[in-house]
Amino acid sequence: MIEVRDLVVSYGTATALEHVSLDVAKGEMVALLGPNGAGKSTLANTLAGLLRPASGTVGVGGRLALIPEGRQLFPDLSVADNLVLGGWRSGERDPSFVYELLPRLAEVARRPARVLSGGEQQMVAFGRAMMSRPSVLVVDELSLGLAPRVITDLAGHLAALNRSQGLTVLLIEQNARLAFELCGRAYVLESGRVVAEGDCADLADDPKVAGAYLGGAIT
Amino acid sequence: MSAFLTYLLNGLAVGCAIALIASGLVVIHRVTGVVNFAQGTFAVVAGLCTSSLLGLGFPHGASEVAAVLAATVAGLLTGLAAIGKPGVTPLSALIVTLGVGVLAYAVEIVLWGDQPRSAPGLAGAVTVAGARVQTQYLLVIGVTALTFVALALFFGRTYLGKALTACASNPYAARVVGIDTRRMGLLAFALGGLLGGIAGVLVTPLRPISFDTDVTLIVNGFAAAVFGALTRPVITLAGALLLGVAETMAAGYGYGSHQLEIALGLMLIVMIVQAGRRTTISEEPA
Amino acid sequence: MIRLVAGVLAAAVTLALPAVLDDSALAVYILLGLAAMVTVGVSLLMGYAGQVSLGQGAFYAVGAYTAALLALNGVPPLAGLVAAPVAAALFAVVIGLPLLRLRGHHLAFATLATQLILLSLAGQLEFTGGDIGLQAIPQFGVGSVEFGDAAAYAYLTWFGVAVVMLLTHNVITSRPGRALRALATSETAAASAGIPVGRYKLTVFALSAAFAGLAGGVYCFYTGYVAPGSFPVLISIQYIVMAVVGGLGTIWGAVAGAAAITLLVQGLDQLAGLPGMPSYAPSVLSYAVYALVLIVVVLFLPQGLVPALTGRLSRTRTDPPVETR
Repeated sequence: MIEVRDLVVSYGTATALEHVSLDVAKGEMVALLGPNGAGKSTLANTLAGLLRPASGTVGVGGRLALIPEGRQLFPDLSVADNLVLGGWRSGERDPSFVYELLPRLAEVARRPARVLSGGEQQMVAFGRAMMSRPSVLVVDELSLGLAPRVITDLAGHLAALNRSQGLTVLLIEQNARLAFELCGRAYVLESGRVVAEGDCADLADDPKVAGAYLGGAIT
Repeated sequence: MSAFLTYLLNGLAVGCAIALIASGLVVIHRVTGVVNFAQGTFAVVAGLCTSSLLGLGFPHGASEVAAVLAATVAGLLTGLAAIGKPGVTPLSALIVTLGVGVLAYAVEIVLWGDQPRSAPGLAGAVTVAGARVQTQYLLVIGVTALTFVALALFFGRTYLGKALTACASNPYAARVVGIDTRRMGLLAFALGGLLGGIAGVLVTPLRPISFDTDVTLIVNGFAAAVFGALTRPVITLAGALLLGVAETMAAGYGYGSHQLEIALGLMLIVMIVQAGRRTTISEEPA
Repeated sequence: MIRLVAGVLAAAVTLALPAVLDDSALAVYILLGLAAMVTVGVSLLMGYAGQVSLGQGAFYAVGAYTAALLALNGVPPLAGLVAAPVAAALFAVVIGLPLLRLRGHHLAFATLATQLILLSLAGQLEFTGGDIGLQAIPQFGVGSVEFGDAAAYAYLTWFGVAVVMLLTHNVITSRPGRALRALATSETAAASAGIPVGRYKLTVFALSAAFAGLAGGVYCFYTGYVAPGSFPVLISIQYIVMAVVGGLGTIWGAVAGAAAITLLVQGLDQLAGLPGMPSYAPSVLSYAVYALVLIVVVLFLPQGLVPALTGRLSRTRTDPPVETR
């Protein structure tokens, strides 16, 4: 579903990604771990077609939706308008299926997005991405700055969609515990290179990965 | 008293024309971040077109609509020059629109010569509460009101309008959901051309227009848009009406030669006051 | 070494030209020099303070009117000529104090507004001669030596250009000048590095105004009259075209840009004056040239035509990340 080969992306003279290769199969949930500045968001933006590779190839089978880092809503528009604009590519104009999935959004539908709480905003970002009827979802930092209960909720929705609809998910996370819980496989990105990859169970046992990403008490 | 009312209504009409120019500036600036110096040019193009079409014997209505369409095309072409190429900063784009305005001088002189031209509008005058007002002034007020209602509906109710607002609200997010922000910018320029064109068509019967009228128009429009910090349409409308009334009153009570200074002085004061309220960092140009 | 030879050569040609040119060619030569003086200032302002002035013609006008008024009231021409840049700089400081808090398009419109207000006032006030302006301005002279011919004005003009270039060179290479470079790219960064941004900006603004004022002073003695019509908005745009063509923040580039545009427009004027051309041809051609040159250079040669030709800057330029649509 996602096939990245030898990808190089640079900002001017600075290289953000160096020969990255990565695969996500149809219906798979894969995690991408790494510290700040490793190039995770660059990869997400490249997958979404917002950045052009300097070299290498990016293949995506089917429609890809991105939940960007920091939600990136339209602050002045209502929640309903935010959702409806999510259907720009798919032509979906009716957000009622999102309201069924996330009933809280139906209650705040007419409020401007900027007045919502962080958790509600992440729900809008999630719903907006679903409005494009994606077959692949790239989630950039689902858990950042959210309360544990909200994270569990959203993670539950993500897992359910993966099971019921076969939604392919690339989960970009700093929270490795959450990532290992949800995903079968993971990649570790550092300084623009893939430094480790494999089954989450194996990676969790790898002392280097465990020390770097499971050290802190998260979630 | 009736003289005062006449000046007030005339002033409101002048303000309406300024508001149309200014709203074009605001639409373009919100979506693209560019201040379009060629905004006055659109009004000039439309005004000159109407005068020619009417002169050739085309009927009212058709002539005006065709002139507004010509201005819309001019808007689109200006947009292509200003934001068609990726990586041009807003200030560079401003200089490009300045170039477009000067280029338009050359085209306009070839097509229409360098003398002012007028066009017949609605003839006659009506008496409102004891004040005589030319019918054309009332037409200007009416059409502007309709245009602003249509704009509000377009941005608030239509999908395309919301997509334009989205580009203004968060361009990155707009690209994330798949909106082509550059194409939306071009749409904004075309809309700016349309609004400028409506202003030109309405104003030409009241004040003869020539190729270099654009400077007065853009400066007045910018002054009004500055009231709304170049982003807020309603305050821009209020600023434009205030400007129109102030200028017309000044002219009516014998300070006609100082109209321009009043508009420009007001604009400078508003800008300086606004700059004083802003922090340095938030205003760093992109 | 090569630069020194080139400089000496340029100076020699500059000095030799007035002796060989006829009167109409001398007129072009003088106007070119005056444009170069103003453009060096505009280039400094845009390249080093990162600000666009759409009202540089206002300072040109202040200089011209100052020198003309003083000369008409019996003040020695030399004193008038010295007063011209001083008055323009003072005017720049007075309006710059409030206006320089503005940036980008706000400052561009504010400077344009300043020029429009000034022209409108000059056209209405009695002591500036209204729309007709001031006429019969005495010839320039120092002591008992009066400047009778165009060649003398050519030397005066290019002496002024040399002074302006030398001053600008000293400003750029001084320590504050290097700090100014930072100003053009990021004002916030410059401010946080402890550079007194406001004071530097005002200084550059006043300096660029002084250059324009000096040019205005020479202009009024050379032509013998000044009127509001001598300083249209287009003249300010013309200086921007010249500065942009020459490459912002370059001294020789500014002079080369002024020369290129002046000669190009002059050549087109000759062309437009040929029999069979319509009467509007000169203005149409010059508008079209200003516009197209401005658009093409801003979009495709943002570092300027002159630096692009010499290829000096192009190699050090870094490209921003490519964004797809």
